[in-house]
Amino acid sequence: MRSTPTWALLLCGAVLCAPVALSAQSWRTVTMSRQRSGEQDLRVHVTYGAGRFKVRSVDGGLLYRMQLRYDEDVFEPRVDFEGSSLHLGVENVGKSIRMGKNQGGEMDLVLARDLPMDLDLEFGAVRADVDLGGISMTGLHLKTGASESVVDITEPNSSSMRRASFEVGAADFTARNLGNLNARSVEVNAGVGEIELWFTGSWSQDASVDLTMGLGSLELVFPEGLGVRLTKDSFLTSVDTEGLVKRGDAYYSLDWEDAERKVTIDLNAAFGSVDVRWVR
Amino acid sequence: MSRFRNALLGLVLTALLVPGLVRGQERTVVSKEVSVGRSETALRLEFSDGEELEIALRDGSVLIDGSEVGSYSAGDALEAAWRSLLGGAVALDDGPLSAMLRDWSPPQELDGTDRELAGRIDATLEEALSARAAPDAPDAPSVSLSLGESDGALVRALIGHLGRLTTLEEALEGVDSKIQLHVDEDVTVGAGETLDGNLVVVQGDVRVEGTVTGNVVVVDGSLELPEGGRILGDVRLADAELDRAGGTIEGELIDVAELSSNVETDLRERLRNELREELRSEIRSSVGGRDSSWGLFSPVRGVFRGVAGLLENIIAVVILGLVGMGIVAFAPENLEAVAETARRTPGRAAMVGLAGSFLLIPVWILGAVALAVSIVGIPVMIAWLPLFPLAALAAALLGYVSVARNTGEWLADSGYRYTDWIRKSNPVYTVVGGLVGLMAAFMLANLLSIVPFFGFFRGLLNFVGVMLTIVAIQIGFGAVLLTRAGRRPEYRGNRDFDEAWARAVDVDMDVDADSADAPSEASTDA
Repeated sequence: MRSTPTWALLLCGAVLCAPVALSAQSWRTVTMSRQRSGEQDLRVHVTYGAGRFKVRSVDGGLLYRMQLRYDEDVFEPRVDFEGSSLHLGVENVGKSIRMGKNQGGEMDLVLARDLPMDLDLEFGAVRADVDLGGISMTGLHLKTGASESVVDITEPNSSSMRRASFEVGAADFTARNLGNLNARSVEVNAGVGEIELWFTGSWSQDASVDLTMGLGSLELVFPEGLGVRLTKDSFLTSVDTEGLVKRGDAYYSLDWEDAERKVTIDLNAAFGSVDVRWVR
Repeated sequence: MSRFRNALLGLVLTALLVPGLVRGQERTVVSKEVSVGRSETALRLEFSDGEELEIALRDGSVLIDGSEVGSYSAGDALEAAWRSLLGGAVALDDGPLSAMLRDWSPPQELDGTDRELAGRIDATLEEALSARAAPDAPDAPSVSLSLGESDGALVRALIGHLGRLTTLEEALEGVDSKIQLHVDEDVTVGAGETLDGNLVVVQGDVRVEGTVTGNVVVVDGSLELPEGGRILGDVRLADAELDRAGGTIEGELIDVAELSSNVETDLRERLRNELREELRSEIRSSVGGRDSSWGLFSPVRGVFRGVAGLLENIIAVVILGLVGMGIVAFAPENLEAVAETARRTPGRAAMVGLAGSFLLIPVWILGAVALAVSIVGIPVMIAWLPLFPLAALAAALLGYVSVARNTGEWLADSGYRYTDWIRKSNPVYTVVGGLVGLMAAFMLANLLSIVPFFGFFRGLLNFVGVMLTIVAIQIGFGAVLLTRAGRRPEYRGNRDFDEAWARAVDVDMDVDADSADAPSEASTDA
């Protein structure tokens, strides 16, 4: 009977969790939107915990439109708009604990095109599909938890930004067309997972990229013609530097000197693999 | 053309003075919220004039701006019609949304009270969405505007340099009642005349010979105040000069440019002070952090340090004792197995413990890597990262408590005067006694630190204490690993039956069979 306490614990846990797990989720759908009213620029902070998350840009006089599907017993939408600051998201109302929380929840967000925005996106365990094309970004900070995220900048950013930063937790993360960010500096800080960074897009200025990778695999995809200089500081990491030649402490793309736009990458990785790939 | 430019400037200035007048003539929807849930279907609108409208069907009640106007049943025709309307409204904004809501009319199939309620909703929407004149604000300022005839240089200056507009805004702060505004023209308030309200002059000269009952604001010009001239309010000058020749100002004389510069200076000074304070506190903390043993109060400090150290030791014994009591209460067999293994094979347990300690971090990292390579493993890895160190800590605690129990038993057997209180039959006593024994070196060191000039011995005792703790943890941890946290007692090692017998009868016998007088040398300890 040595295992009696274990069984007793499991039984207690099951009894405690059963009503929670069995209770039906109560879904609510909310659509919120606001018209532009002479805003010159905007600081946008979006937070979303779990579910599916989409971001797009929109033409016309709309400042934002947010469509949410959430469990109304657990979450409530949050919209704070004040002057040049906009905070959107859902927050936990803490009425009950539910297994799987917002699985099935959705946030579909559209933001005004061509309105200069300092964009701060923060999401947790979500499946994110973020298209930042057309959004005029003066700054970008994206933070994810355990997510599966695709960030695509499908159109060149009409504003110039000093820094774009991506903080990736334990995630499958893909960023495409980073050249369209029009950023002087890009910072990617990844914890654990599979990271894919596409340096495609239209590079309107030279840029420096600071990559820090914990555990997992990192794939760097460069378009032909882009000048790349890569320095690395790695520990227990295999680095495949296809298409790069080593000169001194750094790896250079073959056409580094002649390249119209140059990207300098400082890579810091531990435990994993880094692969370089070239595309037309 | 200059007239047009001045008119433009006038509009800008009027907007600065009366922000309320330039908004809200049109009833447009600036914000929309459509909410569809199990027990609620709601529409919330915010209009450009700041007003809001909420129509909701919630928990059987029809609510307009929070007031109940009727009731409905879930799934009835009224709710269906309302949901259908909101279904169309979800995708629309601004003009098309307003048009759609305004054009909505109750469906024909509704009858009775449902139709009446739908009609009320319809009327509410139409009323709310129809353009309405701005309400007369009782305290709205009246502005009379007068523009000069110059060539528009001022317009260029003001619009080309936003700083001027900022200055003007500062100058006009708080001036919100009756205002007479003159742009690019000179103004004279003649002797005996009274100007009722505020006078604002932009790029113009003002001469006040009579009385102005409000404030006088001059931007980019001059103010002449001869004898007999009287201003009952404040005088605010922005890039303007004052020629005060005997006139009186009953309010304050404010130089806006100076004011701005003062604010800037204040801010700079405050920042400088904050930085200075920050630096001072940094220096203070870094200096204060040093242990100057030769200070005036160093003996007193030694006493405090010793007493504090002793208290720390006692708290540690209490906490570890509570942990030990928990283990004795809930896992006595595991404790017994680990303690026995540590007692019988301390060398082996220490080696295993040492190897285990070295392998802890690599195992932790490799485990995380192995889990991280697959998406399925990532959630497990998230649990692995914090739980593995916790498990290692728990193992170390169990091991340490087990070694403490052995130490306690040894102390109970030792017959020392101060260990009489340790009752061997009670594992709680032996665990607590052992903990005191293992920490005795630290306690003595702290006691010695109260007495001056014993620094060397204090250091030596601390070193002994640290070594003892490390050895105890290594032996205990190794015993935990060998016995799989006490679940495999066979790792205790081979039984020493002689010792088991001696322990059973609590008798120490030392018999030398070869000795001729063996019987007489046999000693018995009862």
